[in-house]
Amino acid sequence: MVKLEELRYVRLIADNLGGAADYAQRVLGLQPIDKNQDLATFRSDFRDYTLAFVTGDRAVQSVGLEVRYSADLDAALEGLRALGISGGRGTAEDCALRKVKDMAWFIDFSGNHIELVVRPLNSGWRYFPSRDAGVRGLADVIMRSVDIEKDLSIWTGVLGASVSDWAGDAPYLRFDHAHHRIVLFPARRPGVLAVEYAVEDVNLLMRNWYALRDLQVAVVHGPGRRPASEQLFLTFAGPCDALFSFVAEGAAFDAERHRPRQFPAGPPGLCNWGSECKIGEFNEATRGRGNQSIAV
Amino acid sequence: MIKLQDVSYVRLGTADLDGATKFATDYLGLEISHRSQDAVYLKSDQREHTLCYFHGSPADQVAAFEVSEREELDMAGSELDRLGHRVRFGSAKEAELRRVRSFIAFQDPTGNNIELVWRPAYSSQRYHGRRDAGITGFSHIGLCTTDAARDEIFWTTVCNARVSDRIGDAALLRIDEVHHTIALFPTDRAGIQHINHQVTTGDDVMRSFNFLSERQVPMVFGPGRHPTSSARFLCFEGPDGMVFEYSSGVREIADELLYRERQFPFEPKGFCEWGAKPQIKEFCN
Repeated sequence: MVKLEELRYVRLIADNLGGAADYAQRVLGLQPIDKNQDLATFRSDFRDYTLAFVTGDRAVQSVGLEVRYSADLDAALEGLRALGISGGRGTAEDCALRKVKDMAWFIDFSGNHIELVVRPLNSGWRYFPSRDAGVRGLADVIMRSVDIEKDLSIWTGVLGASVSDWAGDAPYLRFDHAHHRIVLFPARRPGVLAVEYAVEDVNLLMRNWYALRDLQVAVVHGPGRRPASEQLFLTFAGPCDALFSFVAEGAAFDAERHRPRQFPAGPPGLCNWGSECKIGEFNEATRGRGNQSIAV
Repeated sequence: MIKLQDVSYVRLGTADLDGATKFATDYLGLEISHRSQDAVYLKSDQREHTLCYFHGSPADQVAAFEVSEREELDMAGSELDRLGHRVRFGSAKEAELRRVRSFIAFQDPTGNNIELVWRPAYSSQRYHGRRDAGITGFSHIGLCTTDAARDEIFWTTVCNARVSDRIGDAALLRIDEVHHTIALFPTDRAGIQHINHQVTTGDDVMRSFNFLSERQVPMVFGPGRHPTSSARFLCFEGPDGMVFEYSSGVREIADELLYRERQFPFEPKGFCEWGAKPQIKEFCN
């Protein structure tokens, strides 16, 4: 079994690199790092970057996770092959582009690109935000899945992640001290559903809510509190077919004593403040299999 | 000096007693304590009632404060009389209606109707609201003032209030450790400017924001956080245009000697540190 060490980055395909970069700075308040014709990266914490916008023929949307050794990459690819998943090692050029020492990639059963990286760059210089949004760092990613069961077998069977809780059919997955780093959400197509950044506390979350109004960014869910993780969240529209969230607080997590709990599907299981939800996948979950699975 | 122990209750006249009762129970989340022919008494904590709607003019509003000794009513009466306030001693029947042993009524310099009550009734049954709003109790009132400096002197020298902070000329006054129990807002009328109930957590504030928004209750300020008292709050409009507030996490001032009041700007930033903008006449320039 491979051990995931850290969630590292999300790469999104930008049709309009300038617009996306402007959003990252003005709305998310992230710090611009690299910028060229095909790439713009942004820092949110100790990591050199956690968000990359890419463009061009070879651009793919992907989520990057760190493993410790190159041998882990071989082990992961072998485990994936056993599940019938294809993948490969990154070229030197791929690695340079991502500022990592070594890497492998694969495509899950839904069609999501996932990258495993070794020795990704840490900045060494502290994060200096473009706007005082109070961002603490990349917290987690919500990914769409067209086949939860099969995709989950990759995460729990090959990558060593565990299910922390369920909201309907959506598993919260953990591999470090946090309640979750990845959420697989039932959907009809693959792709990153939401990129979630932690902010300092409730005050920053709510300040951002009013700031987003002034910036005329559409809020699609929240502010609210998630019953499973007890995180506060605020999810809003973003570029590149992805949503973004600010999250804060959350219950202290004790992996030793925790066992996965089943929460309701859709908005009732995703917010206990009763906030309005405009996310199609979340609203659909109340109607789909999610409801039946908990109606026992 | 009149020693106010706590704010006891608010009495509000209304032409639509049924409508006001529905709002107070189904929306605000209070519990009906008892009814009389032309009044409804509502409970928010361990006290017998803290809000009374009665059939009458919406301009007829009263705020009551508790004193601890019977003699204080007489002392307060003569002191207020000396200062030129007309004082009326409540009849036994009026006291019975209010569920207090005895009380006096007078007007503050702006003309706000104030009652001082002795031995207001407590309830043997705990409060159980109509909905789970998380209310822990009636906590403070905003009072209108037509002369902020004059009224601040009245409440702090004739009574025992202390200034905790000021937003512009609006003084937030405490009578115990709680950051404020009375807030004076400059305007052109007399009356109660807002009525506050405390709720258990900030989560309750947000749940009510969604609950009341879905029911088209006009939101007039927030959700937000007061930089003065550090409380998270939500203001919304009830019957006859009365502003009701929920808040949670109000600061307590334990050390009277070390505390120094602060001056905040009379603008949205002075009222909310999250960026909410008030749609309340008395909070706007």
